Amino acid sequence: MAKIIVVTSGKGGVGKTTSSAAIATGLALQGHKTVVVDFDVGLRNLDLIMGCERRVVYDFVNVINKEASLNQALIKDKRTPGLFILPASQTRDKDALTMDGVQTVLNDLSKDFEYIICDSPAGIEQGAQMALYFADEAIVVTNPEVSSVRDSDRILGILQSKSMRAEQGKSVKEHLLLTRYNPHRVATAEMLSVADVEEILAVPLLGVIPESEAVLAASNQGAPVILDQDSTAGQAYSDAVRRLTGETVEHRFLEAQKKGFFKRLLGGK
Amino acid sequence: MAEQCFRMKGTTLTSIVLDIIMFDPDEFDKQLAAKVASAPQFFTRSSLIIQLSCAIDATAFELLVTLCRKHQLQPMAVKGQVGDLRETINDLGLSDISQSKATESELSPADESQSQTQKPAGAKPEVNKTRVVARPVRSGQQVYAEGGDLIILAAVSEGAEILADGNIHVYGTMRGRALAGVKGDTEARIFCQQIEAELLSIAGRFVMQETIQTQCWKKPAQAYLEEDALLVTELG
Repeated sequence: MAKIIVVTSGKGGVGKTTSSAAIATGLALQGHKTVVVDFDVGLRNLDLIMGCERRVVYDFVNVINKEASLNQALIKDKRTPGLFILPASQTRDKDALTMDGVQTVLNDLSKDFEYIICDSPAGIEQGAQMALYFADEAIVVTNPEVSSVRDSDRILGILQSKSMRAEQGKSVKEHLLLTRYNPHRVATAEMLSVADVEEILAVPLLGVIPESEAVLAASNQGAPVILDQDSTAGQAYSDAVRRLTGETVEHRFLEAQKKGFFKRLLGGK
Repeated sequence: MAEQCFRMKGTTLTSIVLDIIMFDPDEFDKQLAAKVASAPQFFTRSSLIIQLSCAIDATAFELLVTLCRKHQLQPMAVKGQVGDLRETINDLGLSDISQSKATESELSPADESQSQTQKPAGAKPEVNKTRVVARPVRSGQQVYAEGGDLIILAAVSEGAEILADGNIHVYGTMRGRALAGVKGDTEARIFCQQIEAELLSIAGRFVMQETIQTQCWKKPAQAYLEEDALLVTELG
C-alpha cells in the first residue's frame, strides 16, 4: 500500500506545485517509487515544472473516464528513476473529477507505488477537497504572511473534518512546510518568523524553504529545484524529504547570514 | 357585543403538602409552630394542601384547619382519606381533590433555598454533558456544546467559533470567537489560558477584540457578566 500525501495550502501561489515536484523527486532519489498526481484540472502546471509538458498525451481525467489506461497516462520522468507523473487535463474543469473515479485511480496506483503525492489546486472547493480526501498525510505549504497562514489554518480544519480518515474517526498526519522564507525580512519584521507561524498553526515543521532565485529558474527550466543542490532551496527541500521519511535533520537557513567583508565592499546583494 | 370579561386557563403550581400521619391537637400545634419557625419566610402565607393519611372526624378536622391558619398557613385543598368530611371541607371553603392525580416529593427546611427553582416533582435532575475537544479548532470551524459546558484543550484559531449553553474553558491560545450561555444563561463564564480573542460573548452581551486588548491581552483571563456588563479580568 502506498502512502498518499497531499500537498495543499488553501491559498494560491504559495508554492504547492514547486513543493510537490521537489518532494516527489526527492523521494524517488531516495529510492522510493513515487508518482506525483496533478489535481489542478484546468490549470495544468505540474507538467511544466517537471519539464514533461510535451509528453502529455492522456491525462488524469481520461483515466477516470476510462478513455485511457493508467499506464498510457503515466509519464516516466527522464531525469529521476522511479518517478512518474500523472498530469491533469487542461481542457476540462475540476467537476470532471469524481470521488469514485479518483478512488479507483489511487487504488490502482497504490499497488505499484510507495508514495503518491497529490498536488492540490488552490481554494477549499471541490477540487481541493478531492485532492485531500484520500490522504494519509498532508503537507501544508505556507508563506510567512498572515493571509497564507489563515488559509492554511482553514485547510487544516477541512483536513481533520472532511477527509476520509477524519470520517473514519482517524486523523491525517500534518506537516508544515514554510516556503519563500526570507530571514532578512523576518529580522525587519516585514515577515512572520518560523516561531510565529508554528505558534499559530501548531503543526510539526517539516521544513523551511528559503526564498531563492533558484526556484524561479528551476521552474522555467522545467527541472525541480531539489535537483539544484547548489541552491539553498534545493538543500532545504532535501532536508524536508529526509524528515518526511523519518530522519531527524536540523533546520537550516533560518537565520540571516551576515554579509562578508568582500560582499559588503563589492555591494553584493 | 360586550367585550369578553375573562378567559379560562390551566396552570400548574408547586405547593406544600401537609401530610397528617396522626392528629393530636396539642402536639400538632407545637410541632407546626416549630416547623414554621424554622423557615418563617417560606411557610408564612404559603398555600397548603392537606393530605389526610389517617382517618379524622369533622371536629378534629376543623381544629386542624384553624391551627394551620393560626400559624399563617393557608390551606386550600384536601386529599387522602377524605371519607365523610366532604361537607365540612366545603363549609370551610376548601376543595376536595382526593380524586385528582398528583405526585409529591419530600420537603424539609433544607429545601427552602431550592424552593424557587424546584422542578416538577418526579422529574429527573438533568446531568449536563460536558463536551471536550482535544484538537485545535481551526479557522472556519464551529464547535457547539449543546446543553452543557465546552472544554477545548488546544488552540482556537482566528476565524473559528466556539459556542456553549454553559461555560467555556480554553486551555490553548484563544484567538477566535467564544460565546457562552448562548441560550441566555447569564451565570455562564468563559475561561482562557491565553486570551487573544476576536470576540467574547455571554448570554448575548459581548466585547470585541479592541476592548480585550486594553485589559488582559495574552494573559490567563475569565469573562463573566456583572449587572448586565461583560467583564474580562485576569485570572490568578
